[in-house]
Amino acid sequence: MSERLETAAKLYDEAAKELDRAARHCEVAAQHFRDNLVPRGAAHAWAARGHLLEAETRLDEQAREHSKRSSV
Amino acid sequence: MSRGAYLMDLGLVPYGEALELQRSLAGAVTQGAIPETVIFLEHPPVVTVGRRTETGELHLPEDAEVEIVETDRGGKSTFHGPGQLVCYPILDLAKHGKDVKLYVRNLEDALVRTLSAFDLEGTTIEGLTGVWMPPGGGPGPRKIASIGVHVSRWVTTHGYALNVDLDLAPFTHWITACGLEDAAFTTMARELERPITVEDVRPAAITAIAEVFGLELEELPADEGAGLWAQPIHASLAAR
Repeated sequence: MSERLETAAKLYDEAAKELDRAARHCEVAAQHFRDNLVPRGAAHAWAARGHLLEAETRLDEQAREHSKRSSV
Repeated sequence: MSRGAYLMDLGLVPYGEALELQRSLAGAVTQGAIPETVIFLEHPPVVTVGRRTETGELHLPEDAEVEIVETDRGGKSTFHGPGQLVCYPILDLAKHGKDVKLYVRNLEDALVRTLSAFDLEGTTIEGLTGVWMPPGGGPGPRKIASIGVHVSRWVTTHGYALNVDLDLAPFTHWITACGLEDAAFTTMARELERPITVEDVRPAAITAIAEVFGLELEELPADEGAGLWAQPIHASLAAR
């Protein structure tokens, strides 16, 4: 595999991990809201938002790299 | 100048959940998704092991009903349990001087101010972190609050634990807390010689943290009201 593809793969790996973490926080937030534990639910909701932004940063990074090489 | 920050009072939260939450909220603070955030909570009984914990610090009896968790904070082993006020500030030290030692001194200052609200004169000891009650005729200083912090990309996690009213036996019988042989530990209830609760102490702790770090803390209401806070995401949603 080329170095460039490996770099891209790592960015997607990192994005996937961030999305997994976001999903876990969403599940916990949902449970806390159902249990009427509003502050704990909100804390997990914001934690999820942070991981989504981290994932987006990785995907943007790859998109920027791709745009440099895109000729069509 | 004061700056807005979130205040979360989360109640009794298992250590593992709180640790994961802190790490993720630190990421959100780093990303600018949320403002700086201060968490107050209590933990079910748990022994936590820091990066500087040494073999031999843990000597738990086999029947001890307690979780043991390895953490990424500095410091040695300690015990958390109900009756202890735990504060985890998720602060961006880029806004507070980019000085970890100063940050720890500020946490100690906040603890001393919190104790002062109850006419208790907490003090610090050169070379040791945490806050102590002076000998006052007793055998030596007694540790009343512990501090352990972690900083990544200048954003803080972990924080302090103030002994309000709890059984102190685990600090010496289960572990050599903070790695301090023969150290004495105490609680606010013991020093005041009267019962006192975490709920009694929290308002003073909030005021002290706000004063020391120049924060204008906005507390998330414990009933339906989530989302009523202004969040950075609201502005970007409105712009779409």
